[in-house]
Amino acid sequence: MIRGKRGRVVEPMTGRRLGGARGLVFAAVLGFGIAGAQAAGAVTVYVSNEKDNTISVIDGETLKVTATVPVGQRPRGIILSRDKTRLYICASDSNHIEVLDLATLKITRTLPSGPDPELFVLHPDGNRLYVANEDDNMVTVIDLEKGTVIAEVPVGVEPEGMGLSPDGKILVTTSETTNMAHFIDTGTYKVVDSVLVDTRPRVAEFTRDGKYVWVSSEIGGTVSVIDARTRKVVEKITFGIAGIRSEAIQPVGVRITGDGKLAFVALGPANRVAVIDAERFAVRKYLLVGQRVWQLAFSPDESKLFTTNGVSKDVSVIDVKRLKVVKSITVGRFPWGIVVK
Amino acid sequence: MTPAAPAQATEPVADGVAALAVEGVSHSFGARRALENVAFTVHPGEFAVLLGLNGAGKTTLFSLVTRLYHNRSGAIRIFGSDVRKKPSRALAQIGVVFQQPTIDLDLSVSQNLRYHAALHGMSRRAAAERLEVELGRLDMAERADDKVRRLSGGQRRRVEIARALMHGPRLLLLDEPTVGLDIRARQAILDHVRRLCREEGLAVLWATHLIDEVGGHDRVVVLHEGRVLAFGGVADVIRGAGAATIIEAFTTLTGKDGT
Amino acid sequence: MTAVHYLRCLRGIVVREALRFLHQRGRFIAALVRPLVWLFIFAAGFRSVLGVSIIPPYETYVLYEVYITPGLIGMIQLFNGMQSSLSMVYDREMGSMKTLLVSPLPRWYLLTCKLLAGVAVSILQVYAFLIVAAFWEIDAPVWGYVSLLPALVLSGLMLGALGMLLSSVIKQLENFAGVMNFVIFPMFFASSTLYPLWKIKESSLLLYNICAFNPFTHAVEMIRFALYGQVNTFSSLYVLASLALFLGLAIYGYDPGRGLIARRGEPAG
Repeated sequence: MIRGKRGRVVEPMTGRRLGGARGLVFAAVLGFGIAGAQAAGAVTVYVSNEKDNTISVIDGETLKVTATVPVGQRPRGIILSRDKTRLYICASDSNHIEVLDLATLKITRTLPSGPDPELFVLHPDGNRLYVANEDDNMVTVIDLEKGTVIAEVPVGVEPEGMGLSPDGKILVTTSETTNMAHFIDTGTYKVVDSVLVDTRPRVAEFTRDGKYVWVSSEIGGTVSVIDARTRKVVEKITFGIAGIRSEAIQPVGVRITGDGKLAFVALGPANRVAVIDAERFAVRKYLLVGQRVWQLAFSPDESKLFTTNGVSKDVSVIDVKRLKVVKSITVGRFPWGIVVK
Repeated sequence: MTPAAPAQATEPVADGVAALAVEGVSHSFGARRALENVAFTVHPGEFAVLLGLNGAGKTTLFSLVTRLYHNRSGAIRIFGSDVRKKPSRALAQIGVVFQQPTIDLDLSVSQNLRYHAALHGMSRRAAAERLEVELGRLDMAERADDKVRRLSGGQRRRVEIARALMHGPRLLLLDEPTVGLDIRARQAILDHVRRLCREEGLAVLWATHLIDEVGGHDRVVVLHEGRVLAFGGVADVIRGAGAATIIEAFTTLTGKDGT
Repeated sequence: MTAVHYLRCLRGIVVREALRFLHQRGRFIAALVRPLVWLFIFAAGFRSVLGVSIIPPYETYVLYEVYITPGLIGMIQLFNGMQSSLSMVYDREMGSMKTLLVSPLPRWYLLTCKLLAGVAVSILQVYAFLIVAAFWEIDAPVWGYVSLLPALVLSGLMLGALGMLLSSVIKQLENFAGVMNFVIFPMFFASSTLYPLWKIKESSLLLYNICAFNPFTHAVEMIRFALYGQVNTFSSLYVLASLALFLGLAIYGYDPGRGLIARRGEPAG
């Protein structure tokens, strides 16, 4: 997205040929895009498609796919740069991080990441990237400007979840096999604490006020809420959906609203997103989305929540105010990561 | 089959248009011949009795006159309008009381009457006025809001008569209206309808098998096994059959003992 | 007979149907309980997502309860149409049909008024059902409830006309139950009410063809789209054509000339 004079947004099309239905959608959007882009504001959704090795670009207002960008091998975790002009992509099988320029939708550089990067998180200073290396039981810290590895921190087996406190001082990384959430001081790179959670923790997410860390346990079927200061589990949220086997409830992605009132948890093969009262830690309702819902992302104003549904190959859009699923948009195969700008 | 000279003891015959003119009507149900070349007329102010045993074809004839089914042969005219060619005009001038009670048991008397009025395109105000008049005439005014289910047989019949007259028809057809009623109720209804005939100039066709309902000054149509055996003033019919009373005449004509 | 007379007649017939319906409170409760039982008890056993595809007019995955709701709306109207049919057979046996038929207004108009009165009653039942369903979060966009109305009128007319046609064919009240079994259950089950047609196609092409031929399927699809403010053109036209066919046959059935009433005859008298 280029911000022209007077702050009007112009969206240049990549002109890439797309086949079939998506081609028609693309052509239609092309017609509306020029006119619509001005009105559309700047809400764009980026989705990494694990098997297709592409990034899908969705217009946040029209809810249609506007572009599909080929990237490296097995793209999983994705993050926006602090100024939101670039997208960092974990190309797991290529063993590096790719940087996508969002204006031109072209890969401009690659960064070292350590082997098999899955998920990462950006320090508030916008320069340090903390990458979980799944196969090597490591967290690699990268300096973005210099493009070099600053440190390599050994952690538990199969690290995945990466949660950074709002002040950037504490990094929480989950270890899938040892069922731990490790608290790491980002200044010293020392593990200051390890908290036991339920089986196969996947995602660690801090609340905006930095008071709690929510950790989802995929096999355990629960979400543990850890007090960030005392580092004790204060609450364990369980899920129950009538008619769904409890083994199918596998919490993965977690997102909490900025005001700390609502939390959303993706429940994997249960095909639902749980809506939780984050103050009382009580589940309010379950929203039906596509199959094997994985990760979640809010729109900047938190009016919409987007989910990636791995098996059904689509992204579901949830109206946060009404708590209703509005639409499901087809993207590539096995959509994994999702960010919204 | 005596062609009768239309002679009326009371009212003079109004200009030749018959209220009901049945000409050469035959009707079959599959193989069974229900009516054979039936012909007769009823004029305004006449009280005509359609006399016949059960199975003679009275109800079939009524069904044809009221256009429940079409007559395939002959013609039926109501005040000149052929029932087949101008059914709307014809039906608007008939009021019918069927042998089978056709009133809604679950509705009130006035609801039933208002329904009938609506079917004839009457406004609600006109219906309300007529309702009062007709029920008043039959001494049923206080029962207007009662559910019909709670009325006795005689009262229900009276309601049906009031209903049939709501739209002011000039021809009233009644098919065995007194069946199942006690003597007092029967007489009351008979008197009432005769009075209407006399005072309003209504033409009435009263179908029955009860010979004692035939009055001395009535017109009578003797129907037997689908055929009209005699038609005319009662006195003429009796004379024509070479009998002394209507009962004798009936027995002679039909060759059966009718009671 | 002018237009005013026609309108008064329509009002009279509608009022009578409404009064009869209100007096039979049990009928209203039954009409409401039936689809609710299907919705909450039957659908509860089928809580999985409906296959992998998103079915238009829905834009995302919907729960089974949401999917069968249009079918249940159709069920209400189907039963109502059959109930009207039963009333007509009853009226004919009890005699009140004659009161209707000796009206000077044209017979096709009288029968159409009866049809409209029945549709009005069914529409009341449908909205009552939708209000209850909405309390359980099975709802549609607000304007959907409004755009549903024309679809309800059309499908109600079609099913009512079917009922009327059946009533002209059924000789006696006792035979009614048997005929209904041959009509209601096949119509309801061989349709897109309980399962989307593409799923049926997967298992049996013959069954799929039967369902696609069934006018009830099209009534349900028309309702489904209307509930989301969309028009399913093909289904709507199919319903319209079926309505014309059924109504035409029904009027033929009640016609005094060719009439089946004539052929069956009356009690001898």
